[in-house]
Amino acid sequence: MKNKYTITYLALLVLTSTTAVFSNIFSGLKAISILILILSVLKFLLVAFNFMELKKAHPFWKVLLLIYLSVFVGVISVIF
Amino acid sequence: MKETNYKNIYYPPGGILMWILIFLELLTFGIAIVVLVASSKENTEAFKTSANHLNTTYGAINTLFLLTSGFFMATSLQLFKSNNLKKSKLYLNLTILGGILFLLLKSVEYHEKITLGYVLGYDTFFNFYWLLTAFHVIHVLVGLVILVSLTSSIKKGKTLLEDFEASAAFWHMCDLIWLLLFPVLYLLF
Repeated sequence: MKNKYTITYLALLVLTSTTAVFSNIFSGLKAISILILILSVLKFLLVAFNFMELKKAHPFWKVLLLIYLSVFVGVISVIF
Repeated sequence: MKETNYKNIYYPPGGILMWILIFLELLTFGIAIVVLVASSKENTEAFKTSANHLNTTYGAINTLFLLTSGFFMATSLQLFKSNNLKKSKLYLNLTILGGILFLLLKSVEYHEKITLGYVLGYDTFFNFYWLLTAFHVIHVLVGLVILVSLTSSIKKGKTLLEDFEASAAFWHMCDLIWLLLFPVLYLLF
């Protein structure tokens, strides 16, 4: 179990570094901005599903979170 | 320690009331972020210039502080479930340390912005910056109070698993909100 958290933590570190690299190298490109947002959503999901144990919860809560994130990224991508 | 059946719709990890609160918070911050992005369309260049005044390194380090703190929180809860109270308390203290480091760095960042005159009312971008980040800081402060109270209840041996899970869920919620705020405020424009 502790190992699962360590793997999640390492994945979060890799995603954070990737986001920082992308934003520094390709700043200003709309596609990169959306990619940065998607990478952040991946981190969000890792925290919610693994650290908060949402993956053990009833599907209702998982679906609700996924709907929230889809609407959030969708609306921002359209407006931006 | 006996675990709850999380598969029941009424018992998500952390409790149903905590998850209702989490969704309300996410909705509030989500709407504010969408309004921020929509406002940026009115004056793209001004938003870009203002966003460039933010220090992305501070933002990235603060992300690491909160993610590390979240990792310690999850580990602490796991150790509590396996009745390893001593180690659980150690990890809980490390979680608190992560939160304090986040607040310290945020204070440095706020001090810099105030010194340079980028205060509330400077422009639309900084209005959003101050309101969103300060509202998040209040959540972190409340989370820290909850964690300190949890540490003291562990010392007294009075902690219930449900209380620990709810406290952990609140702390992780601070991570989740920051994970939405950081890319939009610091990187998107």
